[in-house]
Amino acid sequence: MIEIQNVSKHFVARTGGSLFQRAHRQMVHAVQGVTVHAANGRITGLLGPNGAGKTTTLRMLAGLLKPDGGSITVDGIVVDQAPRQALARMGILGDAHGLYPRLSARENIVYFGRLQGMEADVAHARAKELSRLLDMGAILDRRAEGFSQGERMKTALARALVHDPANIVLDEPTNGLDVLATRALREVLRHLRSPAGGGKCIVFSTHIMQEVEQLCEHVVVVAQGRSVAQGSVPELLEQAAESRFEDAFVKLAFPQPVAVETA
Amino acid sequence: MKTGLLKNCWVVFAKEVVDALRDRRTLLRLLVPAVLMGPLLLLALSSLIASLEERAEKREVLVVGMEHAPTLRNFLERQTYTIKPAPVDYEARLRATTLLEPVLVIGENFESELRSGERPTVEVVSDSANQRAGAGMPTLLRLLQGFNRERATLSLALRGVSTDLLQAVDVEERDLASAQARATRLTGIVPMFIIMAVLYGALTAALDSTAGERERGSLEPLLMNPVQHFALVLGKWGAVALLGMAVALLANLSFVAGQWLLRSDSLQAMFQFGWFEVVAFLLLQLPLAAGLGAVLMALAIRSKTFKEAQAGSALVVTLVGLAPMVSMLNPGGDAPWYLWVPGLAQNTLMMLVLKGESLTLARVLPGVVVGVVLTVLCLLYVARSMRSAVAR
Repeated sequence: MIEIQNVSKHFVARTGGSLFQRAHRQMVHAVQGVTVHAANGRITGLLGPNGAGKTTTLRMLAGLLKPDGGSITVDGIVVDQAPRQALARMGILGDAHGLYPRLSARENIVYFGRLQGMEADVAHARAKELSRLLDMGAILDRRAEGFSQGERMKTALARALVHDPANIVLDEPTNGLDVLATRALREVLRHLRSPAGGGKCIVFSTHIMQEVEQLCEHVVVVAQGRSVAQGSVPELLEQAAESRFEDAFVKLAFPQPVAVETA
Repeated sequence: MKTGLLKNCWVVFAKEVVDALRDRRTLLRLLVPAVLMGPLLLLALSSLIASLEERAEKREVLVVGMEHAPTLRNFLERQTYTIKPAPVDYEARLRATTLLEPVLVIGENFESELRSGERPTVEVVSDSANQRAGAGMPTLLRLLQGFNRERATLSLALRGVSTDLLQAVDVEERDLASAQARATRLTGIVPMFIIMAVLYGALTAALDSTAGERERGSLEPLLMNPVQHFALVLGKWGAVALLGMAVALLANLSFVAGQWLLRSDSLQAMFQFGWFEVVAFLLLQLPLAAGLGAVLMALAIRSKTFKEAQAGSALVVTLVGLAPMVSMLNPGGDAPWYLWVPGLAQNTLMMLVLKGESLTLARVLPGVVVGVVLTVLCLLYVARSMRSAVAR
């Protein structure tokens, strides 16, 4: 179970400047009040346009960034206070999921398993199990060098799941995947959520509405650094009084006619 | 938790070593120069010396106008020298370094002037830019001095004067340098190559495991494992230092193998590079490989790409690589502070080994202390920087 309670984060960015003029500093509020309750056995979608603060929120969840305010707990463990215990309970597929090109898919997976504290034979057994689940038998012993986008994603996902975590966090996993690969991923996530797959708590961020409609039981709409609405897809439709999810999303995410803000 | 740190450290170390060893192309580009350097360098040195020795054995003199000087010819032949006519275009060929020996030029009136005591002039023609020809000059000059002395001795003897008058003082040379110390004039360049080998061995591994990892986007997932950052850094650093040492070992061994190619007996006698030297050199490199690996990682962790990291490390690589030049440009003037400068310290100590002098603790310790301090400081910095490097 993952609880993100009203977190906020700002960055200091620089303006362009020129050869003779120093760049100015500018405050960017990436996240200012995102709340997500992700229960076990449920796929929770984080839906928002590009730049809404989804990735920043997930990076705070992973302990890479320290939140300015708010709190994040994973199965009751406060991420800020015990990041390593929290990480051991999460499998995270971030927006950067580079593989080691000179290692085979299996070695990539086993390496992370070992770093999760697994013994070598246990990690190998788990890699085999995951390759069955993700249908990657053909690439398991190939070096990651020449992998296609889909193969790379599968390997990265297997690597994130190697320690069989109770909580799974995926940051825009379908980016760059074709229809078949997306479908396969969807199947895997449904399996992992089901009691047979372990009843995992899955958090899934995306900007694609169809993904959310087809996959998520619970949706949190994020816009301009805030979580603006949450509920199941029918609930959100009702809340916005729309019949198409796309219209509902636009209405919820951008309450007024879209205005260009100068931060 | 303590054992966990070491175990994680080992896992990272093993992975980094395997990863680096699989990068065959980079590895080959590193190893080929490291392995070939020794033999090539020694081959060049030995062929130079061999050709000098060969000329000394040949005992030949190139002369223009020998027919004008039968007395000199008689003297030269009595010294068992063979007289060869010089080529007509000897001046041009000396300048173009196609003729590698000095030429003796004798004037037409040599014999008659000699008879009448008019001191005929002979020319010894060489080109000081033509080093091989220059090297033949002393022999030829000594030969002509011998002729002078013989003539003088004969004249004095005819007049009943003791020939001892010609030599009021007896001069004897005494050289204090041992054979090994003399050899360092030639082998002094070896330590510099070993230091370069450490440098280049550590460089690619250090950049690949920090900036390279970041560029590939694999650093972020790596940090999402419940592993102490210091364990990650320690494992990576171990692999970097090991690769630096491995390339240094190969460079060392290449000098051992290179000895078999030495053509000149005298050089072979002077250049003593045995297993003792190999082991001593390697041990002396340890603090350098450790400290340098850590410094390079610290420089690279803040860079977003491999390219940026390479540009950032160029200064360190150049400074350490050229540090031995300080002592080369100032031979014999080793100052105590040399032992505190990475690169220079190792060079100074290796030169001591080559000269056959003993290494005292006081000489070795400064380099070790500097290496350890650099390592600890830089690794702590890298461990602290990892998270912020990813977050940016």
